[in-house]
Amino acid sequence: MKSRALSMDVLLGLLPIALLIALWQGLVSFGVAPVALLPPPGFVFTRLLQQLATAGFQQEIIATLFRLFAGFLIAVALGVGIGMVAAASPAINRVVRPLVRVLAPLPKVALYPALLLLLGFSHESKIALVAADALFPILLSTYYGASTVEQKLIWSAMAAGTPRREILLKVVLPAAMPSILTGCRIGLVISCIVVFLAEMITSTDGLGHVLITAARTFQAVDMFVPLITISLLGLILNALLQAARSYLLRGFPEA
Amino acid sequence: MTWSAAIGRRVAPLLACVGLLAAWQVAALALKNDGFPTAFEAMRAVPAILGDKEALINILASLRRMTIGFAAAVAVSIPLGLLMGRSRAVAAFFNPLLMVIYPVPKAALMPIIMLWLGVGDIAKTLVIFLGVSLPVIYHSFEGAKAVEEKMLWSGAAMGLSSVQRLVRIVLPAAMPEILTGCRTGLVLALITMITSEMIARQSGAGNILFNALDMGQYDTVFAMIIIVGAMGIGLDAAFEKVRARLVRWSEPQFDIPLSFS
Amino acid sequence: MKVLPSRSSEIMAQVPAQQPATAMIEIDRVSQIFQTSARKDHLALSDISLAIEEGAFVSILGPSGCGKSTLLYIVGGFVSPTSGSAKMKGKTITAPGPDRGPVFQEFALFPWKTVLGNVMYGPRQQGVRATEAEAQSRALIEMVGLKGYENFFPKELSGGMKQRVALARTLAYHPEVLLMDEPFGALDAHTRTRLQNDLLNIWERDRKTVLFVTHSVDEAVFLSDKVVMMSRSPGRIRQVIDIDLPRPRRRTELLLDPRYQKYVVDIERMFDDSDEAGANA
Repeated sequence: MKSRALSMDVLLGLLPIALLIALWQGLVSFGVAPVALLPPPGFVFTRLLQQLATAGFQQEIIATLFRLFAGFLIAVALGVGIGMVAAASPAINRVVRPLVRVLAPLPKVALYPALLLLLGFSHESKIALVAADALFPILLSTYYGASTVEQKLIWSAMAAGTPRREILLKVVLPAAMPSILTGCRIGLVISCIVVFLAEMITSTDGLGHVLITAARTFQAVDMFVPLITISLLGLILNALLQAARSYLLRGFPEA
Repeated sequence: MTWSAAIGRRVAPLLACVGLLAAWQVAALALKNDGFPTAFEAMRAVPAILGDKEALINILASLRRMTIGFAAAVAVSIPLGLLMGRSRAVAAFFNPLLMVIYPVPKAALMPIIMLWLGVGDIAKTLVIFLGVSLPVIYHSFEGAKAVEEKMLWSGAAMGLSSVQRLVRIVLPAAMPEILTGCRTGLVLALITMITSEMIARQSGAGNILFNALDMGQYDTVFAMIIIVGAMGIGLDAAFEKVRARLVRWSEPQFDIPLSFS
Repeated sequence: MKVLPSRSSEIMAQVPAQQPATAMIEIDRVSQIFQTSARKDHLALSDISLAIEEGAFVSILGPSGCGKSTLLYIVGGFVSPTSGSAKMKGKTITAPGPDRGPVFQEFALFPWKTVLGNVMYGPRQQGVRATEAEAQSRALIEMVGLKGYENFFPKELSGGMKQRVALARTLAYHPEVLLMDEPFGALDAHTRTRLQNDLLNIWERDRKTVLFVTHSVDEAVFLSDKVVMMSRSPGRIRQVIDIDLPRPRRRTELLLDPRYQKYVVDIERMFDDSDEAGANA
């Protein structure tokens, strides 16, 4: 019964995607949009499969993934670390809070030119931009999770003989894990978006660069291919994180 | 006690700004890099940009597109999100599509949209619209989903129709969540605006930034960063004021934006 | 203690009567003030003094808001009193420690650990080897009636089962005093009765000192040697009543016992009187 309702939901969910592709095909078939501007979907997906098999395109994907992961991991390390410490220490909190209040709504992409000037046009500036953008959602949800840990959980651990300095690692970190992972999920999607944009703005390789090259030569087909690739990458990475999440949070209700 | 705490809350972000600028100044002096002017030099270049008529027109045009894109996105996304939150079928219909669109950088659609619609205002506004929509839909959806069933039963017992229940119960109950989404959307509108201008390189604040970079006018680059940064912080602070007023009844929230995209 | 009565009396005899029958816990003129808003202070506890002897089952009974849980938290070392002090075996309590084990109404189990993991946490923290800690913990889990649930997560258990795990987790590090903060308050009536019986059975084995906070008169009388009645705003001790009923107690017998009934009725009358006084004021 439940699985039937679920498969109905899946069918219903595939409908708009199918409709969108049908509309796309229709626009081309009935000559509303010229093929040069809007290549038919079949053409685009064949091209995508061809490209995925070439070593050159795989290289671009690897370049993008490398920057994405490097930036994301830096953001996780800094975000979880600062978030936990800010929740634990009132003194550090007084410093971190106003800084975050100012830096979080700052459009990080505006810093990109400065990062280029300081770190050069290679990997470093792009990784720094990804890290800067992914940092705040992770930091804020870590802070939120760590500062709302149930007091009695901490008391129980203290009564069992846990020294104060170990409470942060043994109780607060695992108890804040649902919130931390939510932040990581947001941070991961942001990383996908930002790495692509940085590569579009200035780069010599990566998926964003592929799109810009295609745009300069008005190759509509090749503009769709990297976009679909980054969407697929986002979905795959999200699914992986989701799997890690359901394992790590198997004890938590409603994870 | 509370007085000084209240003053502290007001002053602390300003102190943070001053601290950041001071750190910048020290770092720039220490590095002695041509491409890294001091905070003081950059600030000195700000009036020059804002005094330049063409630059000012460019920035204001950017802001106009941003406002229109944001307003249109909010107007469409809130009803859609609320419907998704209250109807399983509507949610099942839209969720996978939104999941596919989610990791696509909206500003990256700029070259394709430009191909179809040209480089005019419509293309840029459309991109902003797309960028703002997703977080607002998502938060409205979550907010509407969390509305307590019994509140709706009470409404139905009082004779409210389903549309009335949506407008008079679900909308206000989900308001704190919706406003969180709007706040995220607002910052995202600014980001999308700058990024799309950086990619399209036609006009606007993002274009000024990269033109200056290409021409080696580093003071201008950093001055523009200050201007854009101030816009982000200012918009966020202003929105937070409005939000706090609108949902005074709800649990006190964090005064920093919690979720992002 | 119960196993070796002669030995312990021998030791007592050898030590010159320095501290005759020292209290296990001594609460000395404790007051607690909370700042409720900018300019308003709330006197949660006012000048509380109380001594709890070793091996005694003492309940603190009072209406909600009388500060009874706060008093327990002070003994636990979780909250420090505004003035006065609490001592354990003559030493002033400044921090939580494994000699005082809490059991909370909210269970406060670690959601990321299994039943076994939760119970093993204390012994492991005390430096007990993993294999040994596991064996001890399995025995305790069996004692609280949860054999077969070792690898379940707390979310998969009912409220009563969760509280059994919480009790086992605390017993696992051998505290000298059990601090129970309305432990059965979140359970339905049937489960509560069963847990009360089981708690008494477990307690009969080694007669640890227990400080038990509750707002249920029946529960306090049924379980305790001594009931400390508290009144609210400010939180004060109204009266301390010794419950002179034979042990081991059986619920079904006790309910028919006129002595038990008299204790319950007397205590309820006293609360009624104070409520009327409060309403007239």
